[in-house]
Amino acid sequence: MGFAAYAGFASLWLGKDHMLCIESTGYTEEYKRFYYRDIQAIIIRRTNYRLIWSLIVAVPLLVFVFCAMGSSSSGEIGLAVFLGIIAGMLGIILFLNLIYGPTVRCYLKSAVQTEELPSLNRLRRVRKAMVRLRPLIAAAQGQLAPGEITSQTQSEVASTAGSPIINP
Amino acid sequence: MILGEPGPPRAAMRPITLTCPACKAAQESSTFNHGELTPCANCGVPLQIEVFPALFRRVAPGRDGELVMEGESTCFYHPAKKAVRPCEGCGRFVCALCDCELHGQHFCPTCLEVGQKKGKIKSLENRRMLYDSIALVLAGGGLLIWPFSCVTAPCALYLAVRYWNAPQGLIRRTKIRYILAIILATGEIIGWLVGLYLIFNNHKSNG
Repeated sequence: MGFAAYAGFASLWLGKDHMLCIESTGYTEEYKRFYYRDIQAIIIRRTNYRLIWSLIVAVPLLVFVFCAMGSSSSGEIGLAVFLGIIAGMLGIILFLNLIYGPTVRCYLKSAVQTEELPSLNRLRRVRKAMVRLRPLIAAAQGQLAPGEITSQTQSEVASTAGSPIINP
Repeated sequence: MILGEPGPPRAAMRPITLTCPACKAAQESSTFNHGELTPCANCGVPLQIEVFPALFRRVAPGRDGELVMEGESTCFYHPAKKAVRPCEGCGRFVCALCDCELHGQHFCPTCLEVGQKKGKIKSLENRRMLYDSIALVLAGGGLLIWPFSCVTAPCALYLAVRYWNAPQGLIRRTKIRYILAIILATGEIIGWLVGLYLIFNNHKSNG
């Protein structure tokens, strides 16, 4: 069915009845399969990594810019160009980090596990993947009617409250 | 001991809880399927939780196998339990507990484990070596650090030839990495041979 997301060495692929999460080291690949019928929930948590990476890149960027300006004003044009190129590269990295949008961590929950999906690390990417994923999960499980979540949760609480407590 | 009215065991009727990945606090069902990031009531981290019908589906109780009666076949792994079917891998009889169903096929635990380790059951395969990438890195690395190419080039060539037909990644890959590795490694080996020949000739003419 195709490719859903890619981030660094992780990718997510959607099949007919399951999705495949691939984590690659460059020399090996590890696979995790999640069948659509088993997916209970997807949890998205926003993180601060975009801000942290922006700071990590911005500080040396400013340093290189000031050094390039200093070299230029002192007549060392060659050094200024070199420092400017490095500053430019850092600027591109910073720009891409900002335009990719907020960073998130995405978790997939089934009955037996909660696994992180490392390729879904940007909110925009998660939203795009969810648009493709929802119909596949709905085809495997059906859809929740409006208000069904509340009624199901209330019935679970009510039935659990009536259970006997037996202490050994 | 407190006894109430007879009812299902508590483990099968556990209330549904989803927790915040950051602080592990249980989340209210009112935050499910909200469509937007909403802060966790406990730690304030923005969360979006989307749930599906499987969350409310009852998990069927596990089968533990019936005790064998006289005249019935027994499980190979549990002699006291009744066999329900043969394993499709080895033919041994297995009870309901040992019967592992996978895509309509039934295996015993041993065949399932062996099938997964030896890669015979593709749907259980969870790891592969990317020999094409390793060969290409060895060949390319030899170009960057040329003294090591006398070792890396033959290794790259060996890997490319030896594993040419080995399964690559699960997602279809072309053989371009193998081809590039062979070209680079062959070029490096030829370069070494030519270099050694020239050195030998030079030494001979000087000597």
